[in-house]
Amino acid sequence: MPRGRVAIRYWEKWTGAEGQAIQRVVDGFNGSQDRVWVERIPISDIVSKAMVAIGGGDPPDVVGLYSYNIPLFAEAGALVPLDSLPGGDRLMPMYAPAVGRLLSHEGRQWAGVNTCYTLALYYNASHFREAGIGGPPGTIEELDECSRQLTVRDRAGRIERAGFLQSLPFWWPYVWPVVFGGRLFDPATNRATLTEPESLAAYEWVSRTAEQLGRVDSRRFASSFAGTYHSAADPFLSGRVSMIAQGPWIANFARRVAPGLDYGCVPLPEATGAGNASEIGGGPAGLLEADVIAIPRGCRHLDAAWEFVRYTQRQDVQELLARDHCKSSPMAKVSDEFWRGHDNAFVAVHDRVAKSPRVRVLPQTRAWQQYSDLTAGAFDAIWSGASVAETLARVNARAQAVLDQARALRQRRTGTHA
Amino acid sequence: MRGPAHASDGRTPREVARGLLWASPWLVGFAIFTAVPAVLSLWFSLTDYSLLERPVFVGLANYRELAADPVVRAATRNTLAYAAMAVVGGTALSLVLAPLLERGLRGSGLVRAIVFAPTLAPPASAAMVWLWLYNPGDGPLARGLRAVGASSPNFLGDARWALPSLAFMGLWSVGSAVVVYSAAIRGVPRAVYEAAEVDGAGPVSRWWHVTIPGIAPAVLFNVVMAVIWSLQLFAAPLIMTRGGPALSTHTVSMSVYLNAFVYGRMGYACALAWVQLLITLALTILVLALARRAVVYRAG
Repeated sequence: MPRGRVAIRYWEKWTGAEGQAIQRVVDGFNGSQDRVWVERIPISDIVSKAMVAIGGGDPPDVVGLYSYNIPLFAEAGALVPLDSLPGGDRLMPMYAPAVGRLLSHEGRQWAGVNTCYTLALYYNASHFREAGIGGPPGTIEELDECSRQLTVRDRAGRIERAGFLQSLPFWWPYVWPVVFGGRLFDPATNRATLTEPESLAAYEWVSRTAEQLGRVDSRRFASSFAGTYHSAADPFLSGRVSMIAQGPWIANFARRVAPGLDYGCVPLPEATGAGNASEIGGGPAGLLEADVIAIPRGCRHLDAAWEFVRYTQRQDVQELLARDHCKSSPMAKVSDEFWRGHDNAFVAVHDRVAKSPRVRVLPQTRAWQQYSDLTAGAFDAIWSGASVAETLARVNARAQAVLDQARALRQRRTGTHA
Repeated sequence: MRGPAHASDGRTPREVARGLLWASPWLVGFAIFTAVPAVLSLWFSLTDYSLLERPVFVGLANYRELAADPVVRAATRNTLAYAAMAVVGGTALSLVLAPLLERGLRGSGLVRAIVFAPTLAPPASAAMVWLWLYNPGDGPLARGLRAVGASSPNFLGDARWALPSLAFMGLWSVGSAVVVYSAAIRGVPRAVYEAAEVDGAGPVSRWWHVTIPGIAPAVLFNVVMAVIWSLQLFAAPLIMTRGGPALSTHTVSMSVYLNAFVYGRMGYACALAWVQLLITLALTILVLALARRAVVYRAG
């Protein structure tokens, strides 16, 4: 570190190529001025460590979290609201609207963005050609038909190649109601929505897929990919699955471990009649999540930390980081240079979903992690053949209890009542 | 003239003070890192506390919620089932292996090293190895079963198989128990074996009537330790199954971790940890009570 600078500690979760990308941002900042020096510290399991560090009164100056952490950290007053800092109130208009929602809680902005992502359907174009399928699916019905045609079984009837499985990867078991026009949570009433008709339809579809592929055989097939994601044995990159719901980073891994893979990408197919696209401005449905950068309560060098965070929120800096991560830009305005030579040939698809008026963001409740884990359990049970309605009713009741408990805690601490 | 005051065991206060001074590094460490956190966790279990906010007293609300939490019920059931399988399986296997290794056969030293080696592997590494062994597609176990015409179960992906598979995996770390049993077997007098042999006892009969009673204190020690360790099962299911499928491998320790460090519910996690401690304590006392008549300690 050059002498005379204020040194700040920046905890960030990324390693590998993504870690190198954020290091380029840090290097750019360190080279852009002569007052502050940022030291990036890669941290695994960053949320729990940030909780311990902030709660223990020895936080880093800047911390990289996930957007779904904001409600818990904000309600606990564990972050410095950015709109309380000089010039902080000018950040919000710079973000795409849905990104701005992810960074806010109870009317305040608690973090800056550090790339965002949407899910899209990646498909193996070679498999489509071999099967004589004209193009990628646009609806759930077409997806089912494509999947049926693309699934290959061996002589014993076991799945050798799957067309599409909602359980691969098992990272977003809660996303499917979105493509049926549903929602994950009703923030106005603090209600769990797993028993709404769209959720029921979505998980009926999940159950139908498992039934058609064979509940036991499809589970065995999916289990065989444990620990293989983003490697050469990844289900999609290895050609064992023809279509997969994935984030834009898959392009980074495809380039590295499967350079010959011929693939394409479209927005997640939707159920026929899901939502009313023309009425609410059109655009594809999808789910948006973001990585965020925040200043913890009790940070030792607030001014220096804010200078760095403000730097990362520049359009050119976010574009640099997004390009390195193969993602779309989280900013409202995007430069022409961003699109030219972007490493993800399908970044426009992700951008279209991120900026669609119909895109959903994760529920902004501190109970989301628990809610999400309950949804994963429901998905598992339904895949195994449990009754969809009964399972969702049971899990919805537990999720509601968790949401009620979180709200009661909030009210007890703030002295407010709904 | 009065002599120096003596403690009831004959030590002078000066000697007691000196003893405490020498033991003070451990005593201070124990107080800071175990006793104080234990007392604090009891207090936190009566509060709403997220690590990020100050604790708010809620009385027994966390304990009431625990009683009605279906995830905790499933976790407790799984943990007890795992403990039963792991303790019985591990004890049986190590009680067979140790006498075999003590027979002085050729290569027994190498086999002993092989049996002990897995205990040196970090749990995360072991989990990755077993993830590969259990792979239902190309894993060696599945391939082996298919080669002999049997169908392979989905070891970790089927709710009926996942927990037994984790318990079976636990057997790979029987090495430390085997070492303890081996040492205990060497302490059983040869004369007893010779007398049994003269009386016509075969190898199995000698194992049952001489070896097992002779090493009973070691068996009790290992069983108690196995109960305690197996009730804390954490790393393997967290890495290998994330508690699934359908909560079938979700354990109490996982619930404690998730509530404390992921859901931001440290108060609830502390309540669960105290329940876990009470269950462990109860089972340990049960084992000790059951063993009271069966275990005979030899003098000298």
